[in-house]
Amino acid sequence: MPTANIYYQQREPSPLHQIWLHMSANPFALTALYAFALLLVMMVCSPLLAPFSPDQQFAEHISQAPSWHHTGQIKFLFGTDDLGRDLLSRIIAGSVYSLGYPILAVVIAALIGIPIGAWAAMSRGVQSSALNHFLDVINSIPSLLLVLLVIAILGPALQHVMLAIVIVLIPQFIHGVYNAIHDQRYQDYVMASRLNGCSRWYILTRVIFPNITAALVMQITLALSTAIFDIAALGFLGLGVQAPAPEWGTMLARSLEHVYLSPWTMILPGLALFLTLLSINVLGDSIRAAIQDRVRSV
Amino acid sequence: MIRYSLRRLILLLTTLWLLTVLMFVLHQLFPGDTLTNMSGIRFSDGAAYQLAQQRYAMSHSWFSQYGQFLQALLHGDWGQSLVTQRAVFTDIMPQLGATLELTVLTMSLSMLVGVPLGMYAAVQQRGPLDRLIMGVSLSAYSVPAFWLAQLALLLFAVKLGWAPISGQLNPLFNITPHSGSVLLDILLSDSPNRGAAFIDALQHLWLPVVVLTIIPLTLLIRITRNATLDVLQQNYIRAARSRGLSDRRIMVKHVMPNAMQVVVRQLGMQFSLLMSNIIIIETIFNWPGIGSSLIKSIYERDYPVMLGGLFTLAALILLVDVAVELYHAWRYPQVRKELYADR
Amino acid sequence: MNVLDIRNLTIEIDSDNGPIRLVDGLSLQIAEGEIHTLVGESGSGKSLLAKAILGFINPRWRVTADRLWWRHYDLLALTAEQRRSITGRDMAMIFQNPSSYLDPNSSIGEQLQECIPTDDLKGFYFRRRAELKTRAERLLHRVGIKDHDTVMRAYPFELSDGVAQKVSIAMAIAHNPKLLIADEPTNAMEPQTRGQIYRLLSKLNASQGMSVLMITQDLSAIMPESKRISMVYCGQLMEVGTPQQLLEQPLHPYTEAMRSMSLTNHQTAAKTRLPTLTGSIPTMANLPIGCRLGPRCQYARRACIETPRLRKQKQHQFACHYPLIEVNNYD
Repeated sequence: MPTANIYYQQREPSPLHQIWLHMSANPFALTALYAFALLLVMMVCSPLLAPFSPDQQFAEHISQAPSWHHTGQIKFLFGTDDLGRDLLSRIIAGSVYSLGYPILAVVIAALIGIPIGAWAAMSRGVQSSALNHFLDVINSIPSLLLVLLVIAILGPALQHVMLAIVIVLIPQFIHGVYNAIHDQRYQDYVMASRLNGCSRWYILTRVIFPNITAALVMQITLALSTAIFDIAALGFLGLGVQAPAPEWGTMLARSLEHVYLSPWTMILPGLALFLTLLSINVLGDSIRAAIQDRVRSV
Repeated sequence: MIRYSLRRLILLLTTLWLLTVLMFVLHQLFPGDTLTNMSGIRFSDGAAYQLAQQRYAMSHSWFSQYGQFLQALLHGDWGQSLVTQRAVFTDIMPQLGATLELTVLTMSLSMLVGVPLGMYAAVQQRGPLDRLIMGVSLSAYSVPAFWLAQLALLLFAVKLGWAPISGQLNPLFNITPHSGSVLLDILLSDSPNRGAAFIDALQHLWLPVVVLTIIPLTLLIRITRNATLDVLQQNYIRAARSRGLSDRRIMVKHVMPNAMQVVVRQLGMQFSLLMSNIIIIETIFNWPGIGSSLIKSIYERDYPVMLGGLFTLAALILLVDVAVELYHAWRYPQVRKELYADR
Repeated sequence: MNVLDIRNLTIEIDSDNGPIRLVDGLSLQIAEGEIHTLVGESGSGKSLLAKAILGFINPRWRVTADRLWWRHYDLLALTAEQRRSITGRDMAMIFQNPSSYLDPNSSIGEQLQECIPTDDLKGFYFRRRAELKTRAERLLHRVGIKDHDTVMRAYPFELSDGVAQKVSIAMAIAHNPKLLIADEPTNAMEPQTRGQIYRLLSKLNASQGMSVLMITQDLSAIMPESKRISMVYCGQLMEVGTPQQLLEQPLHPYTEAMRSMSLTNHQTAAKTRLPTLTGSIPTMANLPIGCRLGPRCQYARRACIETPRLRKQKQHQFACHYPLIEVNNYD
């Protein structure tokens, strides 16, 4: 068998590949991607990376300034908080709460929401339009308000927050998938394969799905950003992850009392949260720009 | 248009009605005694409890219970707070005023600044200013609101002392709240130091408003810029250009209306986003609005206040949403065609 | 005298695998008061050419030409602003899909009135407005819209494609342009209206000396009044001549193929194979070198991998190494 490709064929890259090409041409998007990957690695390896246990208290080093300050020590790179806990270790360990749990919530919500959304979009008639109106209403209410509602019923705890966020994200996924499929469903190419006698299942998985993957990825980044924000906000309000756990929002709330004496306990966890959100938002934004560009160039 | 408006309004009424049903169900779901959750009257209150039991038809079916509940709700009888024993409805109205004051100021500020900046960025596409505006807006959009508020407090209130740390007005001024909106109240009051009170209120107000504005502002800039860029690439704009119309005329007559269409469509979403931030910001700045009272009631498990606050916020968001949609359909007629067209 | 003189116009766009030449060295001359027809299949770059003349250019295109003159203006030497004012005054274009060239958010009346020159309007504001309105109505009547009130009040989405096309014709002729470029104007219309539009255009041509560049796909549906025809294939000029020359004695294989493909020209016996050009139009990314007709041309030979020069015989121009009839005295 000759291995050389003698028949040169011009291949259009697939939608996802096109988006990747577009993104890799954008340095900000790549930076965000690497930053996000780094954060993921940090989260997974957090027990190995953290120099101390997040709960270990150094009684002789209370409110130690970060190492770059003239009173700081290199032992505590980011300083310590008012109980003498190492801030760096707490931030690294906190990534499990502030990034890991949101990812988990998004994955669960996506696994439930996407099939429902696909089913809803492929069905038609009253049930579909009623569902659409209902979802519109749910989505017009801010997610934080809905999460607060669930917390009010169940009471503040980590597992309740997770449940609340999953419950709130599911309608968003349904809505996103519904709209994405609905936009494609009446396109001529889908109509053509319907006329060819393809089954609904085939149309959904082989015809429509490749064309909405990019929209799905965008929806996931959006949901992730919402979930991270909500968990941190609840932690901050004292309604989510409870105090000794090193969650970034909770750390911010605690720092409020000592902000005058040790501003770094507020600035550093906030910075971690900000960078996480920024990398995800930049990713989502560049994917959206890439989708738009692809649609426009067709 | 009439048909469309009616449809929207009926949908709104249905949604509000569903919201009351949801509230009723939540009363059953919340921990504790259903009647206490609903009316705020505890079992230990004895005679009042008996009375409330009759008033809410507790011994009858769920249907008549719901009927009584809805009636009370419509009459403005939202029960009383479990903590302060004050009527929820009379407490919520001034809080709504205080929240609306922040909302209106924030939305108008972000519209007034964001839309022109977005259009400017679009016209300068890929220029240094466009890059700067877009970069700043993307990062500002990622700043969590509560952290931003803390930073602002640390910088402006603690370090620089330009603003008081929290609250709405110095209590020395003794202005009785009527509408809840502090600026309005001061203007309506007959206090001798109205001028000084007004300045004090503004000093309290500017920091929360600025912090709240950042997020809708940055989003509006992005939306406006993208919408304007999109319109600028449309055939009709290029055709108008080839017809020799002046740039200014094209901008004012053709680009702006079409770009604003997209912006208007997004306003409802902006508002609901603002609402979730306002809850947090009110708590941090101790602003006597619905958001802070809602959070407080969750801490205190004060269910009548909590549900009153949730209902008011949700209703407000839905109302604004419908108002925006109606305006959108009225101002941009071709939207209606898309709405009617059955695919 | 030629009002429009284009030599070697080339339009390139950048793609992932190098630049693509969408229009390759097209030349076109239009005399004053001439109706010139540009014939080519879809994707042959004829619309691009029209847009390039108008300066209606996408920033991703690179337009170069040896010469792009409109009357005594060198359009390529002017600034965009100057060029726009000249083309806006002297030229107008009718587009293929008219509804996308109308602003969806303003009424037809407003957009139509915007196109009418206001220099010679007199009187106060209200008088001028009333005058503008009657002029707009008169324009609509000219293109065959009787129900002017409804149409003036309508928004573009409320119009059918045919009416939208008539409106855009009205907008195009509002300021009496010297050159009207009509890009398949009758695509969306039924045959009766097509006749109406053709008559309107030829009337304008006769009464005001307006030159018309008509762009069409179909050799059999050209305007009877056209003086000359240019055949374009894949962005290359194939043959230019009078309708008589092209239809009776084409020199280029492409013209010959197009002529035999239009069924009206000859009787076919039952069950015979219809004449077609073998193969299909190459995609933009895979254009052949040399004469782009090469892979589909039955007379193609080795020399065809070089682009043939445009040769001329008695006003009959063609670009082919092996014309159908051996031409002796060409210059």
